[in-house]
Amino acid sequence: MTSSAELAHEIRSAGREQAASPRDPTIATLWSRLAAYQTLLLAAVLIVVLAALVLPPFVFLLKASVVDAQRGGEWSLANFEAVLGSRRFLITSANSLVFAAGSAVVALGIGWITAWIVERTNTPLKPLAYLTAIISLGTPYILYVTAWLLLFGKAGPINQLYRTLTGTSDVLINVYSMPGMIMVEGFLWSPLAFLLVGATLRNANPELEEAARVSGASTWMTIRRVTLRLSLPSILALAMLVFIRAIEAFEVPALVGLPGRISVLTTDIYGNMVAQAPPDIGGASALSVLMLALVLVLLAIYGRLSRHAERFATITGKGFRPRPFDLGRLRYAAAGILVLNFLLLLVLPIAMLAWVSLLPFYQPVSPAALALVTLDNYRTVFSPDHVGLIANTLLVAVATATLAVALTFLAAWLAVRRAPGGWLVERLATIPLVFPGLILGIAVMQLFLHLPIPLYGTLGILIWAFVINYLPYGMRYSAAGMLQIHRELEESAEMCGASPLMRLRRIVAPLLAPALLAGWLFIFLMAARVLSLAILLSGPRSQTMAVTLFDLWTNGQGTELAALGLIWSMLMAMIAAVFYMLARRSAASALART
Amino acid sequence: MRCPRWVPCSVVAVGLSLAAVSARAADAALIDAAKKEGEVVWYTTQIIAQLVRPVSAAFEKKYGIKVRSTRANSTELSVKIINESRAGKPQSDVFDGTSTVVPLKKEGFVLQWLPDPAKAYPAQYKDPEGYWVANNLFFLTPGFNTALVPKGTEPRSYQALLDPKWRGKIAWSTSPTSSGGPGFIGTVLTEMGNESGVLYLRELSKQRIANIGSAAREVLDQVIAGEYLLALQIFNHHTVISAKKGAPVEWITMEPVTGTLSVISVHKNAPHPNAAKLLVDFITSSEGQNIFRDAEYLPADPAVPALTPSLKPDEGRFRTHFFTPEQTEDNIVAWKKVYDDLFR
Repeated sequence: MTSSAELAHEIRSAGREQAASPRDPTIATLWSRLAAYQTLLLAAVLIVVLAALVLPPFVFLLKASVVDAQRGGEWSLANFEAVLGSRRFLITSANSLVFAAGSAVVALGIGWITAWIVERTNTPLKPLAYLTAIISLGTPYILYVTAWLLLFGKAGPINQLYRTLTGTSDVLINVYSMPGMIMVEGFLWSPLAFLLVGATLRNANPELEEAARVSGASTWMTIRRVTLRLSLPSILALAMLVFIRAIEAFEVPALVGLPGRISVLTTDIYGNMVAQAPPDIGGASALSVLMLALVLVLLAIYGRLSRHAERFATITGKGFRPRPFDLGRLRYAAAGILVLNFLLLLVLPIAMLAWVSLLPFYQPVSPAALALVTLDNYRTVFSPDHVGLIANTLLVAVATATLAVALTFLAAWLAVRRAPGGWLVERLATIPLVFPGLILGIAVMQLFLHLPIPLYGTLGILIWAFVINYLPYGMRYSAAGMLQIHRELEESAEMCGASPLMRLRRIVAPLLAPALLAGWLFIFLMAARVLSLAILLSGPRSQTMAVTLFDLWTNGQGTELAALGLIWSMLMAMIAAVFYMLARRSAASALART
Repeated sequence: MRCPRWVPCSVVAVGLSLAAVSARAADAALIDAAKKEGEVVWYTTQIIAQLVRPVSAAFEKKYGIKVRSTRANSTELSVKIINESRAGKPQSDVFDGTSTVVPLKKEGFVLQWLPDPAKAYPAQYKDPEGYWVANNLFFLTPGFNTALVPKGTEPRSYQALLDPKWRGKIAWSTSPTSSGGPGFIGTVLTEMGNESGVLYLRELSKQRIANIGSAAREVLDQVIAGEYLLALQIFNHHTVISAKKGAPVEWITMEPVTGTLSVISVHKNAPHPNAAKLLVDFITSSEGQNIFRDAEYLPADPAVPALTPSLKPDEGRFRTHFFTPEQTEDNIVAWKKVYDDLFR
């Protein structure tokens, strides 16, 4: 952290450097005039860049949705009529909503319980919860989903155990069902829910709980009447976030829903794009526009909820750690929950993948299958092709994170400092939130198939789409960090004669570095594992890891998938650990500064 | 084709076709030109681990030309190639599949060209207009898990599939091709006629067949794992490949078996036109066909016998319904509609 003395020195020298450069007095006036325009110029450039990134996908998607391919490209609403007129649309929309709502409840349920145990009680074994959450941040969803299917599938160890115990040939859990889909999607989001709920619980005012306890309320009553009530707005906002993400989810509907004959909006859109030649781009686009509208409404609700949540959170921020609840004997039960969470979300899926990665073909866990164990999959996986693949993925993720953070650093500065044009910059940088990954993929593909820019089939098109997709996340990190830097630091630099760009470089950027780094790593980790956005954009020369893992699954190379996925996840888990440490430190330093 | 700036391309083309009169000389010229291109992009429907890897490795070893491959099913490949080609940005040089070529031929994206080895192939294994040539034969039929279904109790006829004991225990691929649910429906409708065919399928839909959104290979793998007991419309040679490694799986000769061809073509605007021709030439040559054979695939070259001859109708004595790429493509929309109505 920068000390205040260092900061003062930095402010003065920034001013001196600026003042020293132009000697001639006329140039100096010119320079100061220019400095006045620097902010305007920056805003103008950013508006142009962001608009060029963000707006064309909307235009192309809307255009594709109103072009009737059957009548020679005439403009009409036929695509919408076809979609809205079918019973299927009602069923898939209903499925999407049920699936998303259920997933939000499961994710928040698991996340809240584990977060409360970890943040508020004297339960042992707390590090298990963090370990689970951190490793899950680096694991591609497609890998997780295949692992849980191996675990909960009809031939998986859980159903196998049930059959051995009861002697029936039935299954205890039919994972290829709506409850199964909800369970798996809920599991996927619960680690993130845990981290975010944990943060709100840490920030919530412990005095109120303390007061309840002093007044003689039991632990349960304190939770019910105080803790839950206080965190309700932020939990609702989080639930909404998971709900929106689950509406847009692709992995679980494709791998778990389809075999159980449950279709949702995303799987139908994907089906329209790939399941017939020539593809029904009009139908897929119309469905996408409808889905976009749905997400837009949901996001508006989310916006209202989270504004509310922040109001609740800002009452807080006292400088002492709350006294944890003493659960007595119950703390072993609570530790049991943490262990179960650790087993279900981390140990068992990894163990299943490790088992399968050692086999030439899937076999249930059994002593007989031990005879088949081989390292062949690992031998195949360590090939030059896969080294190139890892390099591709890292390149895309690094470029995406760097560009998105650089753009949103400037955008956040303009927005938070209420510079002219700042409002528009902020809108442009956050609007891609409405795009589900798959739909943004379709839109960007259309765009580059029609434009004379040779990006199609290269890593460039992936980076282009990824930057659009992650702008809102970059904005969230940068703006949150920017809000914590008081204006007066910049004002004093300005008094010393530093131009806006100089202030950005010498004052704001160094202070914001921890938040920017945390944002960079978050985007890096997301970009390294996203499937839905990449699946339609990657070509033979531009594969990413998540797409390759999905391909391995669809192409019947499930055991190779396990080997490759495990190695990749180990690499990503290390990066995720760095992310977590930085995020904690930046949160801690932010707290120290306020 | 890349031509020097001062020579019109047509002149070079005429020159090349004159050179083609002497076959050996053309080969050497083709190899040289292909080597200069350095790589070839193969959009394939074949299973990478089983076939594409050994074929690519042999080709790379022989010519030093890198093979890049992407796998998807026939329909997905057509879609991808149409998208790219319409935009004037073709990425693929060579593509294969049971019906990939047909929509592409209609759009004019296929090179009218057959490799020399195709001359020795029977007429039904190549396009009369010269847009495609077969590289292997496929026979699609059910397979079952021999550890969970005692031999002799497996369903041996279409009617036997309706037995309630199989409810929830059958899987197939969603692939809108001959190796998915729609392909199975196609064979049923062809065999039983539309009316009784649909009646049968309506009964079959009560079995709640699991739709797996992946290749038939993965469906068979899930049967081997015990997730399901029966897989419909899987490739019979895949069961032999797995059984050789010790997997508990066998195929069932459920007559009529679906027969198709995997055919291969060169893209009309291939970025690497010479390497593309060289790869197709290699795959259809006896050298390439022997790699197919060693991988337990059923070579199209009549001079290369299968490693397990009983996988083929004559030697295995089973009846088939045979579909050409055009027949599959012409009917797949109707078959997929039945599939969507009854099974999705």
